[in-house]
Amino acid sequence: MTGDVFDPQQLSRCISCGFCLPACPTYAMTGDEASSPRGRITLMRALQDGTLPPDDATLAEQASFCLGCRACEPVCPAGVEYGSLLEQWRVHQWRGWRRPLVARALMLLVERRWLLRLAGLARRAARGPAATAPPTAPAPTTPTAPASTAPASTALASTAPAPGATSATAAAPGSAAPGGPGARLMLGCVERGLYPAVSRAAHALAPELAVPTAQGCCGALHAHNGDLVGGERLAERLGEDLPGTIVTTSGGCAAHLASVLGSDRVRELSTWLAGRPAGAELRVAGRRARVTLQDSCHLRNGLGVFAEPRALLRQVADYVELPSAATCCGAAGTYSLLRPRQSRRILDAKLDEIEAAGVDLVVTVNPGCLRQLRTGLRRRRSAVRAVHLAELLAGVESP
Amino acid sequence: MTLSATVLAELRGIVGASHVHDAAGDLVAYARDATPLFSHRPDAVVFPADTAEVAAVLALATRHRVPVVPRGAGSNLCAATVPLRGGIVLVLTRLKTILEVSADELLARVQPGVTSAALADAAAARGLLWAPDPGSRTVATVGGTIATCAGGLRGLKYGVTRNYVLGLEVVLPTGEVIRTGGRLWKDVAGYDLTRLLTGSEGTLAVITEATVALLPAPASANTGVAYFPTLADAGEAVARVIRAGVVPATLEFLDRACIAAVEDFAHLGLRADAGALLLFGDDGPPDLVAAHLDRIGAACVEAGAVEVTTAREVAQAEALLAARRCALPALSRRGGMTILEDATVPRPRIAEMVDRIDAVAARHDVAIATFGHAGDGNLHPTCVLDSAEDHEAVRRAEAAFADVFAAAIDLGGTITGEHGVGAAKLPFLAARLGDDQLALLRRIKSAFDPAGILNPGKLGS
Repeated sequence: MTGDVFDPQQLSRCISCGFCLPACPTYAMTGDEASSPRGRITLMRALQDGTLPPDDATLAEQASFCLGCRACEPVCPAGVEYGSLLEQWRVHQWRGWRRPLVARALMLLVERRWLLRLAGLARRAARGPAATAPPTAPAPTTPTAPASTAPASTALASTAPAPGATSATAAAPGSAAPGGPGARLMLGCVERGLYPAVSRAAHALAPELAVPTAQGCCGALHAHNGDLVGGERLAERLGEDLPGTIVTTSGGCAAHLASVLGSDRVRELSTWLAGRPAGAELRVAGRRARVTLQDSCHLRNGLGVFAEPRALLRQVADYVELPSAATCCGAAGTYSLLRPRQSRRILDAKLDEIEAAGVDLVVTVNPGCLRQLRTGLRRRRSAVRAVHLAELLAGVESP
Repeated sequence: MTLSATVLAELRGIVGASHVHDAAGDLVAYARDATPLFSHRPDAVVFPADTAEVAAVLALATRHRVPVVPRGAGSNLCAATVPLRGGIVLVLTRLKTILEVSADELLARVQPGVTSAALADAAAARGLLWAPDPGSRTVATVGGTIATCAGGLRGLKYGVTRNYVLGLEVVLPTGEVIRTGGRLWKDVAGYDLTRLLTGSEGTLAVITEATVALLPAPASANTGVAYFPTLADAGEAVARVIRAGVVPATLEFLDRACIAAVEDFAHLGLRADAGALLLFGDDGPPDLVAAHLDRIGAACVEAGAVEVTTAREVAQAEALLAARRCALPALSRRGGMTILEDATVPRPRIAEMVDRIDAVAARHDVAIATFGHAGDGNLHPTCVLDSAEDHEAVRRAEAAFADVFAAAIDLGGTITGEHGVGAAKLPFLAARLGDDQLALLRRIKSAFDPAGILNPGKLGS
């Protein structure tokens, strides 16, 4: 009798109707009940009541095979909080040495703030002097003209990156002072390590945001990889680092932070920018650009945010909705590293669809999706490019 | 029972080792379907790729006397796919190809693992309609839809699944492959095995391909809603609608308890003071739909409706339909366990039946709310319990439903309109069919399945 792995209330919510099956990418891949959300809840119940031993091989495999995309939640008539159940499940499955090495290494990495800063600095240095412009330089754009730095005809050409993202006192003129109420830009581990241009672009679009550099990881990585306590601790600490409203360029971080700090404290960038006047039209080869959005799973399924980024894109480009826009791209946090074969299978189907749609750009609202799609499209030498929403709206793109 | 190493090895030889699952966890996942209170582990889960593999598995099972339970998505509500005697669960989700959609012949040929929604989409892309519309259409496979003769929200105007099955390819439990019916609307050569197999719940043969009839898609559709002081008034409205010569595509009702639950859950602005809500709709040419909705609205007013609204745009129609669609979720969130039933009575006796259900619920001290298909008399009395662990409450609910089924039969109705018999309704089947008919069912079953391997403990047992 394991008994205490899951919150019994949450576990009892499922009525086993099976409405989640068609929403689940791993069920689509296998047609196997055991790799469907309903089947996994049956397995969770068997773990909870001792029907299956704690070290059962199917339990281990299915807890790992699940993407954790939470596509099963919006279609669930009974309101099962599957994402939360999966987090609890992985606390059990990935306890101690059972946690995959890659996940452990990443968790250790993001817990060390100086490493995050170092990653950002090293990247900036590598990009040359232009990228290390004085941090106090004013933001090049204003909130009323987010894409004003982009020449209309060559909007996709790289322009000077917006400064400030790594400054200790980078608050734009008129924004709240650090420590007081107001809104602050979260820099994010993946953005700092891989895509600092995303944060610079976000700050260019919303210069009213303060950007304290003394900020750590939000803990989503921990929560999704079997360390719920660590995930909560980090989120709470980030909440103290960034008092007031936290604005993030990562849908996944937004959902995790909202689950710990409350949704009133957290805004994903597109909801922060919603309603602002449009920037310059985005043009490619003398015509209006055709763009599509890849939803962030947790942003859409966890927070219900999907209309806002589309509305922003429609203002500046021709928007094309792909049938699988709301379906996971296979990045799924650490999934692409832990289960590369399955991740690739999911990605390949998505890339086929993107390439067939005749779009110029696929836009993401989460750095993990950005990495996944950018890597996949480059591997194919595709003409389509993946950009973050912030980069597109600010008229910049990172190399 | 457990399968011998020989049988497992033979199964792996037929479908390939990776398509036979027998780890404890995999078996637990297939111990149940969407039906509460029924659970039993199989001994192996087998995923065949084609008809030949299905035939080889069945021949093997008959030779070794191993039970076989065919399964699609497992969304049925009568425990039809719970392997009560263990054995093999035969999962048909790998057979998921739409083989043909013919606009010229108004038909489609599909493999059993295609979902009903996928077939509907493929038909719609050719301007055609796949009419069977069970609530589980996004989940349920066409094989399961046919095997349970699923109904849905369009029963009155369009009928149910059996009206759309032209032909089947099935594998008999002894391994022979037969084709019944075909691409023909007229064909009286032999007993109508297609109809016999439709609704046979995986007890006679395994469906490996179906030829189904499609209709030209209606040009438009619209929806309206009416509130009544009592369910009896709503019942009177339904009678007047039919008398007025209109056969609507949609005619759904919610009782007072459902209205309250839906409003609590979805905040759609439903009238809390109403005793019944009637959702009506029709499809076809726009002029005809508008005329029909006017006549239905007028019939509702004559029957005493306190408010009648017709949707002016698609979004509004969708919002109205949402009230009906979220009845089950709204109810299910009120407790830890939901038992959804589907007793059916002749259309004029719906109000009487709901009164009987309310009396039964009071007598057994359980909460039962009722919604359903007013057009075809198909009621879904739904019991919500605080917890599945409350065995005393579960027992009271079971006793209440036994009385509900008795009341349905008493009013000239049946124990199940569209969910099926499976294991869940088997104890009540004799009351509905009588001993002689039940004995005939068993003789039919043994003619198809002499070794009794196919879905034992269900229909025909």
